Amino acid sequence: MRKIMYLEFERCIGCRSCQAACRECGGHEAKERNYVEYVDFMESRQTYPMLCMQCKDPACARVCPANAIQITEEGVVLSAMEEKCIGCRNCTFGCPFGIPKFDFEANKMYKCDMCYDRSKYDIAPMCASVCPSDAIRFIDFDEMQALRRRRAQMNLVEGKKPQEGNKWEYVPEFFGVYTD
Amino acid sequence: MQRLEKSFYSKTSMYAFFVTLVLFFTVWIGTGKFQHIDMALLGYLLSSFIFAIGLTVRMCSWLLRPATYQVVKRSLKNLKDKKRVKRNIISILKTAFENIFLQKFIFKRGIYRGVQHFLIAWGCIGSFAITFGLTFGWMRFDLVDSDTYQIVVMDLPTITMKAHGIFAEMIYNGLNITAVMVLVGVCMALARRIVDKDVKVTQRFEFDLFPLYLLLAVTVSGLLLTVSYTFLDGWMHHYITLIHQITVVVMLVYFPFGKLFHLPIRPLATAVPMNYQEEWKVDTRPCKKCGATYSSDEQIEDVKGILQAQNFDLQLADGSFLADYCPACRRRMRVMKQLNMEAPKGNPYGPIQTLNGIQISGFGKKRSDEFYNIPKEEEKVH
Repeated sequence: MRKIMYLEFERCIGCRSCQAACRECGGHEAKERNYVEYVDFMESRQTYPMLCMQCKDPACARVCPANAIQITEEGVVLSAMEEKCIGCRNCTFGCPFGIPKFDFEANKMYKCDMCYDRSKYDIAPMCASVCPSDAIRFIDFDEMQALRRRRAQMNLVEGKKPQEGNKWEYVPEFFGVYTD
Repeated sequence: MQRLEKSFYSKTSMYAFFVTLVLFFTVWIGTGKFQHIDMALLGYLLSSFIFAIGLTVRMCSWLLRPATYQVVKRSLKNLKDKKRVKRNIISILKTAFENIFLQKFIFKRGIYRGVQHFLIAWGCIGSFAITFGLTFGWMRFDLVDSDTYQIVVMDLPTITMKAHGIFAEMIYNGLNITAVMVLVGVCMALARRIVDKDVKVTQRFEFDLFPLYLLLAVTVSGLLLTVSYTFLDGWMHHYITLIHQITVVVMLVYFPFGKLFHLPIRPLATAVPMNYQEEWKVDTRPCKKCGATYSSDEQIEDVKGILQAQNFDLQLADGSFLADYCPACRRRMRVMKQLNMEAPKGNPYGPIQTLNGIQISGFGKKRSDEFYNIPKEEEKVH
């Protein structure tokens, strides 16, 4: 898998087509695994899409007492294996991003698997393939680097240059859409 | 105890040794000092020992995981707590009945899957109970007189029964009944794996399909034995015996290391009602930010402990941990951090305040003069 997921929260228009698409994905049993929520409802109507980060060393897998969360060779963190999951929800509370969902009836955890049947073959996951405002994109690594550079450039218009000691301060931080 | 431990290569090897020793001792008792040992089952006996050792090794390595260790530790602590006796008993009985015996949660994933799993599970457990009883010699049949059989358990004579009574027939055919259960279940499971495209997404041959084919081979060869001696006058019986023995040995050696290992870890599900969630679907701990209940204190304590044991640093600047917030707040916190919306909101009409003081021209033109490093007028004059 050479492509990556690229999220731009500011681009989200809150249409929730990503959630509708997620429900359609094979193996998702008509339940969405991603989130679309308001950032700060009292301040603005800005929404954001949220997916699993597919961590290299996932906290959810580390806190699972049944060793049920497995990572594929492509690096996709899968939902808890149904035969192992004991339904304790440790993963839900261990995940720093609050991603795993839990189905009380079927007693199992389910989470974004990047539509493994599609992304395995470099096909965009359901959510990325339907997002009308490109808030969720499934793009090449190089394309992502170019986008990030462009965002950083926007912060340099006043002439301040990043130094070795403070270059991390130059990652984009504005509220607004930067990309074309 | 420490000296005993030191004399072994590892704790695991010590446990494996004692498990083997205890099993050997029970065989010694059960077969009446090896007088009644069934030599036809010797291959099964040896592979059962390997099975027991493999199971011990896998259980030990499973308990070594920080997460499992923490949950098991809390479970044992709660089991000893006298104030929680009622809750413990209720959760153990409830899990044993609903989760392990009836397997309700699988029926909720689908009736077909429920029936399939129920047949495989109880067919396998029943077969294991009968075969282990016979191979370890814990149970055998003695002929009292020409018409009466007696079941001898652990070398102690128990029930007597008519050699051709209904009860006796049921016991003789116990393995056939369980084998048919497994056969039907495995065929249903294989059909599902072939037809259902959803399960193909993550299924792996060596993990999901191999155990099914293995169970199929064991049950088919086992049932062929019955067919051979009842209908075909023992045709090819000897060869089928060997084939059956090979399949069973492969299954017993494979058991602790593959998908079937989910059977011995399932009792850990008791920990959920016992430690974490007394009432189903009822959370007690409020989120630090929004106040909505999302978990229980004990569970969050465990999660923090497990994460700390594995050097996950999820502590925030104010000393609280990410686990103190509900999942919805955690998602929001991350997004607000990324969008720089966490900082206190200033004058909405002034220039936008950013972390690094850098702004895009046009968002708010007016800036403090220090930003441009232009010396002030007064300084120039003096």
